[in-house]
Amino acid sequence: MSVDAERLRRVFSPRSVAVVGDKQAMGYLWLRNMSTFQGPVYSIQIDPKEIPGIEALGIPNYPSLLDIPDEIDLVVCAVPRPAAPRIVADCVKKGVGGVTLFTSGFAETGTEEGTKLQEEIARLARESGLVLVGPNCMGIYNPAVGVRQSTDQPAGEGGSVGLISQSGTHAIGFSLLGAAHGLRISKSVSMGNGAVVDASDYLEFLAGDEETRVIALYIEGVRDGRRFFRVLRRTAQLKPVVIWKGGQTEAGQRGAASHTAALATTSAVWQALVRQTGVVSTNNLDETVDAVKALLYLKPPAGGGSASGGGTGMRVGLMAMTGGQSVVIADTFAREGLQVPLLTSASYEKLSSFFNIIGGSYRNPLDIGGTIGWGGSIANLERMLNILDEDENIDAVALEAGSGFMVRRWQVDPQALEATLDALAAFQERSPKPFLTIMHPGHLDGVVAELRETVTARGIAVFPSFERAARALRRIVEYHRFREEVGIPES
Amino acid sequence: MSTATIIDRARTEGRKILTEVESKQLLEEAGVPTAHAQLAASRDAAVKAAREIGFPVVLKIVSPQITHKTDVGGVKLDLKSPDEVAAAFDEIVAAARSAAPDAAIDGVSVQQMAQPGTEVIVGVSTDPQFGPVLMFGLGGVLVEVLKDVSFRIIPIVARDARQMIHDIKGFPLLEGYRGQDPADLAALENLLLRVSDFVEQHPEVSELDLNPVFAYKDGALAVDARIVLS
Repeated sequence: MSVDAERLRRVFSPRSVAVVGDKQAMGYLWLRNMSTFQGPVYSIQIDPKEIPGIEALGIPNYPSLLDIPDEIDLVVCAVPRPAAPRIVADCVKKGVGGVTLFTSGFAETGTEEGTKLQEEIARLARESGLVLVGPNCMGIYNPAVGVRQSTDQPAGEGGSVGLISQSGTHAIGFSLLGAAHGLRISKSVSMGNGAVVDASDYLEFLAGDEETRVIALYIEGVRDGRRFFRVLRRTAQLKPVVIWKGGQTEAGQRGAASHTAALATTSAVWQALVRQTGVVSTNNLDETVDAVKALLYLKPPAGGGSASGGGTGMRVGLMAMTGGQSVVIADTFAREGLQVPLLTSASYEKLSSFFNIIGGSYRNPLDIGGTIGWGGSIANLERMLNILDEDENIDAVALEAGSGFMVRRWQVDPQALEATLDALAAFQERSPKPFLTIMHPGHLDGVVAELRETVTARGIAVFPSFERAARALRRIVEYHRFREEVGIPES
Repeated sequence: MSTATIIDRARTEGRKILTEVESKQLLEEAGVPTAHAQLAASRDAAVKAAREIGFPVVLKIVSPQITHKTDVGGVKLDLKSPDEVAAAFDEIVAAARSAAPDAAIDGVSVQQMAQPGTEVIVGVSTDPQFGPVLMFGLGGVLVEVLKDVSFRIIPIVARDARQMIHDIKGFPLLEGYRGQDPADLAALENLLLRVSDFVEQHPEVSELDLNPVFAYKDGALAVDARIVLS
C-alpha cells in the first residue's frame, strides 16, 4: 500500500478539522458541513470581508494553517486553483493528517496547466506522506464523528456501508437515498481525480475497517488498473463489494474523460473484471442501493453447490395480494432470470386445507389477498410463510404488499400493520431463506415512503418494484455462488 | 535457445514480431502444447527435419516481415514424402520472394501435420487500464463473424479458465455436437492457464495469437502461434 493507513485513519476519523477558504458566496458550505463535528473546527481565511461572517458562526479564524495552536488531522481546502499549491505546502509544514481538495480545474480539464498543477500538488503530498484526497472532490463523510460532505447528511450514528465515489453527487446521493432505505454509511469518500490516493488505496483501507461490512464504489476509471484488479480481487474475498461503473458506453466515456480524466475500457474487459473478482456490478444509484440492501438485510441465499442441497438459490416462492399482482410478480422474477417453480405436493396438500381459492390461487405465485382477508388473518399469513419456508423446491421468499391492498388497509388499521410486521419479522428471524418484500408506491408516494421506513426499521428489506427486488436477489445469489465457488465460508 | 535469448535477439534486431518458430519455442518452454516447428534454412535441412518429425508434415515460410503466410503462397500442407518436401521448399521460397521481394527469408518451418480437431483460438491483447487480457473463442467463421469470444484479465485462476470456456455461445460445439468427439476441456483450461502464466512472467509480450488451437478428445495443440513484443 502506497498510502500510510494510520494517516488515512486520521483523515477518515479526525479529532480536529480546519477549513481553508470558505466564504459567503458558497454559503459557508464547508463550515456548515462541519457543524456536526465533535471536535474543534478552525477556519483559515485572509479576506477581511469574509472573516466577520465566519466568526458569526462561532468558528475561530486564522490567517494561516500554521497559526492554529492545535494539531490538525483533516484540512478541507476550498481555495481557488492558483492558491492550492501554497495551502498543500502549508499542510505539509503543519504535519496535518491529510487534506481534501474541493478545488477543481486540474487534470480533469485536460489542459496542460491543470495537469501540471495537479502534478505539483501530488508531488508535494507524495514526498511528505500527506494524504491528499481529490482534487475536485467533496471529501470525507463519517457520520459517527460528524464530518460531512453536505448539510443534508445525517450525523451521529455510524453504519456499516463504506463508500468510495469518483463523484461527489453520487457520494452524497447514495448516503441520502441509502438513509431513506435503511442503509447507513460507516465511512465515505468522494475521491475526485484521485491524484495521490486512488480507489485501490481506499479499498484497502475499507477492507481493514471493522465498521464497514459492505463496500460500494462509484467509479469511472482507475490510475493503476493492474493494482486495482489485484486489490479488488483480495478485498471482495473479505467483504462484499458493489461496483457501479460510470462511463459504460462511448457517450458516457466521453463524459467520464472530462469529469475525472478516466481512460476508456471496453465493457467486455470490465465484465471480465466483474466475473474474476466476484464483485456485484450495478448500473445506477437505485441498483446500487438495492444490491447493498440485499447484502445487508437478506440471509445469504444458497449458492447452488452442495450446501444448498441441490437448489440453485434462484427458486423463489412468490406471494402477492391480488390476482393481477401475482401474475406480474411471477412474470417479472422469471424474466429477470430467477426461477418460479411449482411447490412440493406436500405444500399443496397443506395449502389446500385452508387456502381460499375464491379469487385466489396457490400454484406459485400465491395470490393470498383472499386468504388473509380484509379482516387480516395473520395466522393464515404465517401458515403460508411457513409452508414456503419448509418447501424444498424454494430457496427464497418474496411478498408483495403494495399500495393497492395492504397499504390501504394499514392506513385505516395501524394495529394490523404492527401485527403483520411482528409476523414478518418473526418469520425472517426463524427462516434461513432470504426474505424480501415489495411495496410499489403507486399513487401513495409519501405514505409508502413512510411505511418503507417502518418496515425497514424491523430489519425487513423493502423494494419499490418487482424488477428491483428480482435484480437485487439475483445479484446476491450470484455473489454467494461466487463465494461458494472460491471457497469463502459464510460469515 | 532460452526465452530470454529469443526475446533479446529480436530486440537487438529491432523486431517486435517473433517468428512462428520463435513463438512456439517460447510457448513450449512455458508448457503450452504446440505443433513443434523446426527451422530449416535449406532444402536438405527441410527434408532432414521432416524425416525426424515423421510424415506427413507442413512447411511454412519463416520471415520476420511476412506475417500472413498463406497470402504469399508460403504454406504447404500434408507433405507425405522427402520429394514432396524438397519441392515444397523451393516453391514456398520462390513464391515468397516474388510476393515480398524486400522480405528477409530465414527459411521454412517444418512441423508435423496436426490431426484436425475442433478449432479454437486463444489470444492476448493489452487494455489501456488493466494490461494484458486473455481471449478465448471458437475458431474460423465463429470468431470472425459472430465475435463469439470471452475475455479475462491476466493472471487468471482455474475458475476463470473454466468459465471463459463455458461462457462462449458456441460452447455446446465443444461438448460434442452431433456425434463429434467432445473436446478435452481440462486440456484447454490448462492451456489457458499456461498462457496466462507465461504472459504474467513476460510483461514485454503485448500480443499473442494461437490461431488455431486444435482441441481433441485427449489434449489440445497450438498449431500456429505469433507473439508480438511491446
